Formats: sequence, structure tokens, C-alpha cells
Amino acid sequence: MPKPVIEVEKLAKSFGDNQVLKDITEQVNPGEVIVVIGPSGGGKSTFLRCLNLLETPTSGKVAFEGHDLTTLDTKSVNSLREKMGMVFQGFNLFPNMTVLENIKLAPMKVKNTDDASATKRAHELLQRVGLDDHADAFPDSLSGGQAQRVAIARALAMDPEVLLFDEPTSALDPEMVGEVLNVMQELAKEGMTMVVVTHEMGFAKSVGDRIWFMADGYIQENNTPEAFFANPETDRAKDFLSKILM
Amino acid sequence: MKKRVGLLLAIMTAFVMLVMPLGNTTHAQAADNSLEKIQKKGVLVMGTSPDYPPYEFQATVNGKSTVVGMDVQIGKKVAKDLGVKLKIKSMSFDSLLVALQTGKVDMIISGMNPTPARRKNVSFTHTYYQGGYDIVINKTDKAKYKNKDSFGGGTLGAQTGTTQYNAAKSQTKNTTVKGMTSQSDLILALQSHKLDGVAMEKPSAEAYVSNNKQLAAIPSDFNMSSSATSSAIAFRKGSTSLVNKVNKTVDQIKKENLVKKDYLPAAGKYLKTNTVNTSMTHYWKAFLTGIEYTLIITVCSVFFGFIIGIILALARMARGNFFKNLLRWVATAYVEFIRGTPMMVQVMFVYFGLGLFVNLPALTSGIIAISLNSGAYVAEYIRGGINSVDVGQTEAARSLGMSNGKTMRYVILPQALKNIWPSLGNEFITLIKDSSIVSIIGVTELIYQSNIVRSDTYRGVAPIVVIMVLYFILTFTASRILNYFERKMQHA
Ligand SMILES: Nc1ncnc2c1ncn2[C@@H]1O[C@H](COP(=O)(O)OP(=O)(O)OP(=O)(O)O)[C@@H](O)[C@H]1O
Ligand SMILES: [Mg+2]
Repeated sequence: MPKPVIEVEKLAKSFGDNQVLKDITEQVNPGEVIVVIGPSGGGKSTFLRCLNLLETPTSGKVAFEGHDLTTLDTKSVNSLREKMGMVFQGFNLFPNMTVLENIKLAPMKVKNTDDASATKRAHELLQRVGLDDHADAFPDSLSGGQAQRVAIARALAMDPEVLLFDEPTSALDPEMVGEVLNVMQELAKEGMTMVVVTHEMGFAKSVGDRIWFMADGYIQENNTPEAFFANPETDRAKDFLSKILM
Repeated sequence: MKKRVGLLLAIMTAFVMLVMPLGNTTHAQAADNSLEKIQKKGVLVMGTSPDYPPYEFQATVNGKSTVVGMDVQIGKKVAKDLGVKLKIKSMSFDSLLVALQTGKVDMIISGMNPTPARRKNVSFTHTYYQGGYDIVINKTDKAKYKNKDSFGGGTLGAQTGTTQYNAAKSQTKNTTVKGMTSQSDLILALQSHKLDGVAMEKPSAEAYVSNNKQLAAIPSDFNMSSSATSSAIAFRKGSTSLVNKVNKTVDQIKKENLVKKDYLPAAGKYLKTNTVNTSMTHYWKAFLTGIEYTLIITVCSVFFGFIIGIILALARMARGNFFKNLLRWVATAYVEFIRGTPMMVQVMFVYFGLGLFVNLPALTSGIIAISLNSGAYVAEYIRGGINSVDVGQTEAARSLGMSNGKTMRYVILPQALKNIWPSLGNEFITLIKDSSIVSIIGVTELIYQSNIVRSDTYRGVAPIVVIMVLYFILTFTASRILNYFERKMQHA
């Protein structure tokens, strides 16, 4: 049994009186692709953001490679965040920089990579997501699908151990969803550990190693895609599936 | 005599009262060695307000703008008899007393008359000149007016806060008395028939009349005690040895009638040569100096104001432990305080208030004050700009492992600045105009220079038109340049 990359123990998170995450204990193993699904407002984004401490947990433990993030000082949290890339629903590219600069910024400013190697690496990553010809474009000239692929390349530039995706295709026109999912599928094949919040059930079935079904602040089911989609155990999951598969 | 007791003076006196306990003791102890101290220093700094011909005014001597007048001659004589060099410091009349009390100058010779109120705060020498009052009128009205009693139903003008202003108020009947701060404004108002007459000191009246053929002078017949029409030199309170020594010089000046015999004619000569050429182009150098200083002040203040603004904005957003909260509280209080007090008062506070502890030149004081002021406003723009950047940008940067500081520096601030560029540009243009405030502490920027030219040429409107045009050229050029960069940034 390999050592888990991420361990979550008794994680809880409240915003004021609103207890969004109640009691979550799960683990992510190296190379695994976890797909988190569930109804809107169920706390999926909050959970994902607790993993890299963009959101501070109210209680519980979030450990990355054995280090409990909640007990570390800011500096160590910053350096552990490098190893957990994140891709957002809204891309969040830096609009004042070119595609290339977007990708080079963090390696150069955080890892002190020199310009030449950062540029070289950025071009490699852009080739990998099929966008090297857009290196000098500004983000507002890109389509949604292209922007999201750049965002993935930007996250990869820090050589992360884990990639977190929060509904990476929800803001895209339907015809662009495929190009982004393809890149993600490639990454999964190469052995990248990923936690993906998505409503793309096809992706969940074909790429996911495990499905976490999340609702009401709990992970209600943790199962293989085959088992989950064939036999949801809880009424909550059955209800959810019946709605989205309609 | 000039005897202003305006709001400015009141405020400045309040400053001095606040910080005086420190200064007072040293002055008191200095009483006996005041003479020795000056002689040791080898320089005597004379404060004067050169907008009062023929007492003191600016003239172009050998192509350079210089303070001249009978008071300057007296200052030179005093310095010579003390065996020291004379240095002249120009500032507004309102600022003189505070400047003396705070050690910015060693003495005041500025047509100042030794009123009992002033005697409480400074020590005066014997009077060196006994003046009187005339009323300047338009020559065409010469048949109409005889003296102060001829203006019933009309309007008399006088410099605000002066003795002649008070006399005009109390010693005329049915006459409206209008106060203005500058003599050249008064003459201008007279010539445009907003005033029927202007009460002023005899030598001034003579100077105006002899240089302007449309004007005439009539006696005022104000009923005055002799102390109200006399001029004396002011030293710091208690400088007995110094005052005694200078009194010898003053007595000699009086005995030999040097003022009437030498000093006034010499001053008149400058007036003549001055008024030979009163075209504005003749004064291009003065205006150029004005532009130069206005730009120096503006550019420096924008630069430092921007840095201060960023620091304040970041401090105002600090949150967390006790120190960060304290920092935020201090920054917030600072911004509120600066925005809630007039810039003019801030300028005076830096020059006179801080001047008690460090001797800052007027230009430096002006730049510091305006930077501090601008910083408070810029801080608010920057804070707004930072808040206008989508939180997603911060999250993306943090998720890439960037620290709070790096996120701010490389991701948030560049975008915030781009958003607020138009506001910053406006601030720059506002500062070009607002920098004129430092003229009150004698910085030779555009307004100051135009006042000099006005008192130099006796032309009221022309210099105003010139600086209006100059200011407009400055602001218009600046806004073009800023627009250019704004468009460039939008493309980026
Ligand atoms: N910063 C915040 N402050 C207060 N409440 C928040 C905050 N972020 C999220 N919430 C609340 O937490 C709950 C869960 O939100 P979350 O975004 O995690 O759900 P989700 O499962 O990602 O939903 P969706 O599918 O709509 O993205 C919601 O009720 C939301 O209003
Ligand atoms: Mg969400």
C-alpha cells in the first residue's frame, strides 16, 4: 500500500453559522484520479480549496505528503502549495500578461528559475496543450477552451505532485469541453494525481479511479465509477443521478 | 503699515504656541549672547515680504530677480555694522513673525510697525522710518476727491489687516471699505473702477503714481499716532544685546537722514528701471523659474506621494495580529486626518512646525508637505484599485505557491495601477495646480513669480493671464501625455 499524497481527517469548515463541511476523512493515493461530484452548494469547491488551504479549515487535519498544513507557518504552506496546482472554473489567467508570461511568472518569482529555462519549459508545456502558436497572445484574445488549457499549462509549470480542478469545463461552450477534457485525460494517463470536481459524468466514468459523492457537508459515497453509477447506495446519490442523467 | 492679523497668522501662532515650550527656553537663555551668536555665525538672515515697494520688492538686477528696496539697504547697513554677511529670505508677510520665532530668520525688516501686540512676542529696535498715508485715485477723479472724507457713498480699498485698512474703516463715514491682500490687486481694482480710492503708505503711493500716469495721490488725513506709522526692525524676544547694538545703527540712519537721502532714491531707481519695460516677455525668465519650480514640486510630490500612497494602502489592508491591526489603525487615522485638514495648513506645519526641530528649506518643506498630502489621496485610489481586482487573481497566484507579498507585487498591483491610472493622472494634474500653495512659504513657483512680476510692473492683469495660459499649457500637455500612456496600457 503506497503512502497517501493527501490525507484528510475530520475536516470541518463553517462560514459563520453555515456549516459547509461537517466531518470528512479521506485519502488520495499517488497517481489516483478522484472525481468529486454532488449537488450545487454541497461544499465541493470549499472542500477542494481546503486541500491547498486557500480556505482555512475550521477544524480537522489536511496533510500533504505527511505534513499537516493546518499546523504549518505561512512560508511552509506557500512552498507546499507549489506542489498542488489548481485549475479554476473561471481560468483566472493574469489578463495583463501574455500566455507565455502567465506560465513563466511563478517559476521565475517563486522558484527563481532563470528566464531562458522558464521560457523553454513554458513552450514545452504549451506544445503539450496544443497552444504554442498562442504564446504571445493576451488572455482576452483566447477562447474559453484555449484559456483553460493555458491555465493547466500554468499549473503544470510548477511541476506539481497533485492537480486540483474545480469544474474546469463548466464555463465553456459545449464544443470546447472536449479539448480540455482530452488534456486532463492525457495527464491522468501519465500518472498525475488529480482531484477533479466536475459535472462531466462521461469523464468521471472513463478517467476517474474513484468517485466521491459529496452532499450536505459529507462525502456520502466513496466508490469506483462502475459501482457508483451502477449501484448508488444512498438515496441522496440516487436522486442526484436521476436528475443529471435525465 | 502692514499689520495683518488674519486667520493664517492665528493658525501659525497656534503652531508656535504648541511647540514653543521647547523653543522658548533656548531663546530665553540666548538673551544675553544673541549678539555674540550672530557674530559667531557670521550671517544675519533677514526676513522680508518683497511685495511692498519701495520698502521691499523684487527687481531684475543684472538679469537676476533680486530683492531690493529701502529696507534692504537698512538690512545691509545693519549687517555691515555687525560685521556679518546679510542673507535675505523672502516669504509672505503673514509668515514673518512665526519665521522669526522659529529661528528661520534672525530679524524682520519689512515695513513692520511696532504695535503693542507685536511687542509682546518680539523685540523691536527704535523706529527707522516715519511714514504716513495717502489715498491713490484715478487722475480723472482728481477734482472730485480731497481727502478721506470725500468718499461718502463710494468705496475705499486697503490691504487687509493693515493699519490703513482699520483707519479707513473707523475714520470714514458712509464709505464702504474693501480689503484685498495685495497692493497690485487694489490698484487694478481702482483702475477698473471697482474702487474709488486706495489707502496706502506714502512711499508706496508715490511709487505707484510716479510709475502710472493714470493715477494720482491725495493726502489721507487719517488721524494716527506716530507709532502706527513707523517702521522698526524686529528681533527675537529678549535679544537685548543685539537690539542695543542695532539701535546704534538705526540712530545713525535717522541722524544722517539716510532713508530720505540715500535709500529711497536708490529704491526709486529700481522702480524706474523696472517699469521701463513692463512687457511680459521681458519677464520670461521669472516665469520660466516659476514653471521650473512648479514642475519640480509636482514631479517630486507625485513620486513620493505615490510611494507613500502604496505603503498607506497596504497598511490599511493589513489584518491579523495586534501589530497589523495597529498599523491599519494608524494608516487609517493618517489618511482621515490629512484629508480632513487644508493643504495650506499642512504646508505651514511642515515648514514652521517641523522647522523647530530640523531646519528644512522652503522647497523641501513644500515637497514633503505635498507628498504627505498626496499620499493620503493616492492611498485611497490604490486601495480602490486593489479591491477592484478579481479575487480569482489572488487565488490563482496563491495556488501557484506565490506568497502574499509576491502576489501583491507581481499580480495584483500591476492590474490595480492599470485600473486607477486615470485617477492617478488626475492627481498629477491636480498637483500641478495645487502646488501653488507653497508660494506662501516663499517657494518661487509660478504663483509666487507672478506676484513678483505684478508688484514689479504694476500691471495687475497681464501676469495673471500669462500664468493662466502657462498653467493650462502644463496641465493640457500633462493630460495628453497621460492619455497616450493610458491608451498604450489598454492595448497591453
Ligand atoms: N467565502 C464564503 N463565505 C460564506 N459562505 C460561503 C463562502 N464560500 C462558500 N460559501 C457557502 O458554502 C456553501 C458551499 O459552497 P461551495 O461553493 O463549496 O459549493 P459547491 O458544491 O462547490 O457548489 P457549486 O456546484 O455551485 O459550485 C454554499 O452555501 C456557499 O454559499
Ligand atoms: Mg463550486
